[in-house]
Amino acid sequence: MMDTQTLTLAVAEAAFVAPGLRRITLVAADGARLPPAAPGAHVTLALPGETRILRNSYTLVGADPCAGYTMIVRRSERSRGGSRHIHEVLQVGDVIEATMPHTLFALHSQAKKHLLIGGGIGITPLLAFVAHLRARGGLFELHQIAGAGEACVFETLLAPRAGERIHVHAGRTGLDLVALLAAQPLGTHVYTCGPAGLMDAVDATAAALGWPRSHVHREDFGAAGGEPFMLRLAASGIEIAVAGDQTMLEAIEAAGVDTPSLCRGGACGVCIVPVREGTPEHRDHFLSEGERARGCHVMPCVSRSKSPVLVLDL
Amino acid sequence: MEFHDVPRTLLLLPRMVAPMSNRPRYAPLMPVAGARAHLLVTDHAVPAAQAFDPRCSENDFAERWTVVAHAMVLPQPFGGPGVQHFRSASHLLALLRHRLGAETMGLRLYVAGSEPFVWDAARVAFDAGMGREELHLFACGQPLRRVWCVHCRTVNPGVTTTVATCAGCGVSLSVRDHFSRAQNAWMGVQCDAEVPGDVPAIKDLSA
Repeated sequence: MMDTQTLTLAVAEAAFVAPGLRRITLVAADGARLPPAAPGAHVTLALPGETRILRNSYTLVGADPCAGYTMIVRRSERSRGGSRHIHEVLQVGDVIEATMPHTLFALHSQAKKHLLIGGGIGITPLLAFVAHLRARGGLFELHQIAGAGEACVFETLLAPRAGERIHVHAGRTGLDLVALLAAQPLGTHVYTCGPAGLMDAVDATAAALGWPRSHVHREDFGAAGGEPFMLRLAASGIEIAVAGDQTMLEAIEAAGVDTPSLCRGGACGVCIVPVREGTPEHRDHFLSEGERARGCHVMPCVSRSKSPVLVLDL
Repeated sequence: MEFHDVPRTLLLLPRMVAPMSNRPRYAPLMPVAGARAHLLVTDHAVPAAQAFDPRCSENDFAERWTVVAHAMVLPQPFGGPGVQHFRSASHLLALLRHRLGAETMGLRLYVAGSEPFVWDAARVAFDAGMGREELHLFACGQPLRRVWCVHCRTVNPGVTTTVATCAGCGVSLSVRDHFSRAQNAWMGVQCDAEVPGDVPAIKDLSA
């Protein structure tokens, strides 16, 4: 019997829109109409991984029952193979099992104004929001933060939607969050999607300015979470429990240990820490395969532990 | 089945159902922690003490707008901390609309006073985009109901009894315990539609 909770989709289009970003459009494999999806919705795709089927969620940047679901996937080295499959293997005509669209990040119908703040690939739900708000004539303002050298990628991505309400900033320092949030009229809702550090900063800044909690919306993405484990810092002599939804770096910082970090996304290598005991679960894209295999270093901003206890030289 | 075929007992059924109520409930006001600015508006020159949490008084609200119905009240520049006086509730509400249109996020609005004023101010706040988290209401004073006649849509202000004569169509209205936040009025339905002149015992709503 067919499971009504899953969709069988076929790749209708696949194109690289920028280095490391592939846009794919999926239609129903049998040519039927797809269920409608609200702006900000995502589907979970079942992708063949190396050892098992991976279930990765991707935000729909476009969702039309006939034209199909469109998503933009960033190639992520720390991924368990899902985005690599989409970038290297997936061809037009391939069939993928997917869940029904789910919306955990929705526009608020009563908002007078929508303030959208994206970081990196976190732009994907915001692209769906912009398309919807443009069509409905909703008042909005988009601020996209791009990493160094990536601003042009997002300017290209946003070019069809360019306007005075869309701003691309190079790096977090390019955007004054306090000034931006302090200037918003009553009835504004803020939506943020991007690195946890950016979203936490939006949360904290809005709260400090007296925004009610219900006006602040965020979408967490990426493989930040996992199984909880224990961390022992050999040099400091302290033991820290890392919660399932917390990164190692966050746990170390919460314990009051000062350790350098920069991108917090596993890219820059600034937070690298030597490992004394235990087996790290590497999720960064800084260490080489050889370095990973030796297991002597770990990037605490994204990586976790395979062993119940990880001992760091910190 | 045609309408006239409906047994008379079925038409009477609504009167047998236990009355329901959606009477608004109010919590005493107190400046909430974490907000950027606090504005208290009231149509009572001296708001009742019960409108405030025992831990605070009206003086704890940085900005207070009060109706002092007196011709000696002169228009003043407004928008800063302290007390502002207004000649009438409509004067206050008009300037509140103007003020909220220029406000930024982080404001909390507190409203104390008569129920019609409280919900008029709430409407101004909702229109400006404020949500329930940003708005704190307390109705106090004499319970005067604004009653909406469902037959002719006349709004009858200052009703204090369970039965009132509609100023628009003249029918005897039964004032139901049903408050419309959108209309800012209580629902009034003709009480003797089935049996003309069969008016139930009239009770005092302020009791």
